[in-house]
Amino acid sequence: MNVNMLLVTIGMVLATFMTRAALLLAGQRFKLSPRVEAALRFAPACALAVLIVPEVLVQAGTVNLSFDNPRLAAALAATAFFLWKRSMVGCIVVGMLVVTAFRFV
Amino acid sequence: MQVVAFYRNPAWQLELRQGVRAALPAAPGVVAWGLVTGVAMVKSGLAVPWAIAISLLVYAGSAQLATLPLIVAGQPFWIVALAAFVTNLRFVIYSASLRRWFETYSQRRRAVLGYFTGDFTFAMFMERVRREGEFAHCDAWFLGACGFNWVVWQVTSIVGILAATAIPSEWGLQFAGTLALLALAIPLCLEWPGLAGAAVAAPIAVLARGLPFGLGLFAGIVAGICAAVAVDAVVGRRKATVQREGDELS
Repeated sequence: MNVNMLLVTIGMVLATFMTRAALLLAGQRFKLSPRVEAALRFAPACALAVLIVPEVLVQAGTVNLSFDNPRLAAALAATAFFLWKRSMVGCIVVGMLVVTAFRFV
Repeated sequence: MQVVAFYRNPAWQLELRQGVRAALPAAPGVVAWGLVTGVAMVKSGLAVPWAIAISLLVYAGSAQLATLPLIVAGQPFWIVALAAFVTNLRFVIYSASLRRWFETYSQRRRAVLGYFTGDFTFAMFMERVRREGEFAHCDAWFLGACGFNWVVWQVTSIVGILAATAIPSEWGLQFAGTLALLALAIPLCLEWPGLAGAAVAAPIAVLARGLPFGLGLFAGIVAGICAAVAVDAVVGRRKATVQREGDELS
């Protein structure tokens, strides 16, 4: 039995569980001010933006804003398709097709 | 009269199924992200049984990937745990947002809902309550969406762990996950406050990408929320003015 790996696993379980559940468990004891509560409705847009944009723009450590960046071209095509058809699956398919096309061209 | 368990309630079960259905379109993204995480864990040198254990118990893709180099380098467990905590800080904001919707449920159920929270399901749930406000059995809907995501992610992550050598990382599969998130983000950015929040959050995350353990992401989210609130106040004031002028004319 690898004791260090056991401790690592338990530590990671506790650490990630705390971030996700501590405030839920606090429940009524953790009341935010109405202003902060209202502000949090913008959390999804901001969280998604920070997860998406670096993945799209950063190529091998540097920002690439030109159209020879496959992921940028793919994200723009996928966005256009989504705005047209409102389909998440379509958005994924179009984006992956564009990225794949870049690999073969 | 016999007390019927909450999960036997047909209305609860219906919401559970609705949650699964809502999460369905994101499945290709979750599949890709699960595979990539599984492959990365084994390729970095983690033993297969531990990779499976961490996948099943920790269930936090980004934290798992961020801590891999530390684990492999044999860092003490508390350093790894601290890194996982910091990488997952955005979930503190998520749970602060979810708290008010789940506050009436039992401690045990809230713990379960917390464990299952993911980026996709958080965004989907917030979109539903934004549209409809509070709805009955929202725990069932959340659990349906999260439970489905959990199963898909675990299966593909374990496939990735077991078939790591057969799946080249150059395929760039994880981009499918990014595209699924993109589809969730676009509708939110069609309103001024959401767009402003994203427009402030994203460049901060890009510029601060050198910070350890995704701290740049956390900073970006906080700054983005502030920007969205500011724009929301301006838009709200303008709307109020337009309405007042309209009232005066009529």
